Amino acid sequence: MFQRRSRGQKYTFWLRDGFRDGESEERIKSYHRPHRRSSMQKSEYTCDHRPRVYKVFENVAQKYDIMNDAMSLGIHRVWKDALLHVMHPQPGAQLLDVAGGTGDIAFRFLEYIRLQEERQKRRAARSSQTPSWQDISNNYSTEDESRESRAVVCDINKEMLKVGKQKADSLGVSAGLSWVVGDAEELPFDDDQFDIYTIAFGIRNVTHIDQALQEALRVLKPGGRFMCLEFSKVNNPILSSIYDAYSFQMIPVIGEVIAGDWKSYQYLVESIRKFPNQEEFKGMIEDAGFYCVKYYNLTGGVVALHSGFKL
Amino acid sequence: MAALLRGLRAGRTLRGLSSGKTGPTSRVVAAPSAVNPQCSNLNRGFHRAALRLQDESKSDKPPSSSSSSSSSSTTYHEHYQATEHDTAAEASQHDSASDPAAEQPERPNTSYQDQSGEHGEEYETEEQLQSRILTAALEFVPLHGWSMEAIAAGAETLGLSSASTGMFYNGAGDLVLHFIAHCNSQLTEILAEQHKQVQLGQAEPKKTADFLREAVETRLRMYIPYIETWPQAMSILLLPHNIPDSLKHLSSMVDDIWYYAGDRSTDVSGSSLNVRPTTSQMNWYTKRAVLTGIYNTTELVMLQDSSPDFQDTWSFLDNRIQDVVNMASSAKQVQSTGEAVVQGLMGAAVTLKNLTGLNQRR
Repeated sequence: MFQRRSRGQKYTFWLRDGFRDGESEERIKSYHRPHRRSSMQKSEYTCDHRPRVYKVFENVAQKYDIMNDAMSLGIHRVWKDALLHVMHPQPGAQLLDVAGGTGDIAFRFLEYIRLQEERQKRRAARSSQTPSWQDISNNYSTEDESRESRAVVCDINKEMLKVGKQKADSLGVSAGLSWVVGDAEELPFDDDQFDIYTIAFGIRNVTHIDQALQEALRVLKPGGRFMCLEFSKVNNPILSSIYDAYSFQMIPVIGEVIAGDWKSYQYLVESIRKFPNQEEFKGMIEDAGFYCVKYYNLTGGVVALHSGFKL
Repeated sequence: MAALLRGLRAGRTLRGLSSGKTGPTSRVVAAPSAVNPQCSNLNRGFHRAALRLQDESKSDKPPSSSSSSSSSSTTYHEHYQATEHDTAAEASQHDSASDPAAEQPERPNTSYQDQSGEHGEEYETEEQLQSRILTAALEFVPLHGWSMEAIAAGAETLGLSSASTGMFYNGAGDLVLHFIAHCNSQLTEILAEQHKQVQLGQAEPKKTADFLREAVETRLRMYIPYIETWPQAMSILLLPHNIPDSLKHLSSMVDDIWYYAGDRSTDVSGSSLNVRPTTSQMNWYTKRAVLTGIYNTTELVMLQDSSPDFQDTWSFLDNRIQDVVNMASSAKQVQSTGEAVVQGLMGAAVTLKNLTGLNQRR
């Protein structure tokens, strides 16, 4: 789930580690550093890594979905389906998928809404076998009025969006889908636009998570829902040791074999360990101003689904 | 004292408004009530005003509250000035939707002290908000049935996005249980009102059977607007995870009805020694079980009743209550007959003993 990072001007210290050769010592030091975002931010400096990072993601973009399947053994599909089930979007909802890259969440969202609408139509047809004149006239008027549900995929990396667009074309999905280049910390949208904001496996790479959360609060409509799928802490010690072994031994190897990029996937695994745990992240979401914040552990805590409402 | 503190807090909020943040005219109207000690409502109303603001146009933001602060009483004035910065925090949290650019830098610092101070209020507001959404959703039940679509439509009428239905983890069950609780509280109010009338001597106390009949009828009439979708609601209530809650509501309703019918018994055993009306000789559990049975069967009859104004249902109800009364009186008769029979037998035995000379003590 290696997603692009935030805007290229400032990088934190640990970001730098994944990309400079001869910096292995810093890399090890940063791995053992305690998990505090503030300490990481203190060592910010401006450095133009953007072309290099961009190149990395250019390579990764084509193989992104394959890598996801290989690394998670296909379980990432289950996680994303779980996200949709918890979301339970109603027809007419507007989705913003940030760091959406290849559009997995957006496709599932549109499919879910389509099934909902079919179910509703079937139910309506069943109950109104002989519709009254009033029902018929209502049907004429509502066909134009009902809002179409829309999904906007926003990503900082154009290549990922291109791959997503190709996928959409091959699946034949085009209605209600838009692709926008943008930075999670500074979204190019007006206030109160979206019903649901999702960020799946992307918020880990954002430099200023609290800014991203505040942007989420801003673009959501009142009553809107923020949902975040992200790797998190495994509490069970047995599962945790298996997970650690798998992450550090297998994933960089798979990365090298399939995508030809060991370092990026090593960075991925390390950044997962650095991300705050479920309760801390829940606190951050509440601090940003969301209410009714709740999290669900999937696969024993490997992935956590956080949800909050803008009330 | 607590009221004074609440008043101070409300005063602070108003001061925050005047410190340059924006607010709708509804808040200016709310200002005079700041002098009222019952100000916790103001904070909640504040939150709701924030919600309403998010619906209304954000383009015109009237210069809020130099007028409001001047209209408030001078006793609070010095408190306002002292706590200006705190209020900026509160105001910024609530105004987050309307004025993000100016407040984003402040919000991370201020929300910490805010959430701890306002914690109690926020939780109340969340639940109140949920119950408001569910109440609004009841209008859409005839159209969408007892389902998430109805809740989504209800949320939209309040100006919230349909995604807020995610707050209701039990989905349609939440809606049905909310409706039942609402009906029960309405019934309790009506019964309490009648009771008060009787206490004041303005109305005649009713006989128990009549009282029960009218209470059950009043309660069932509340279902009439939703009668077409009521079978769906009943099936939702029968789902295993909803059964504890629905039983709780049912038993509390039945208890309330018996309480207002005059039953104050707390013990299990019925005392049969005194001469009392037949209905009060049944014990606590029997009474409630009987009424539960009457209520449930009448509800089922109502579902398939097609007579005008449900006349068949009410006559069914009458018959059931009459059955219960008859059964109670016949139980008493059996008991007294039994006693009489026993006494007769004892007398016959004594007579026999006398005749056969066994009672002789010589």
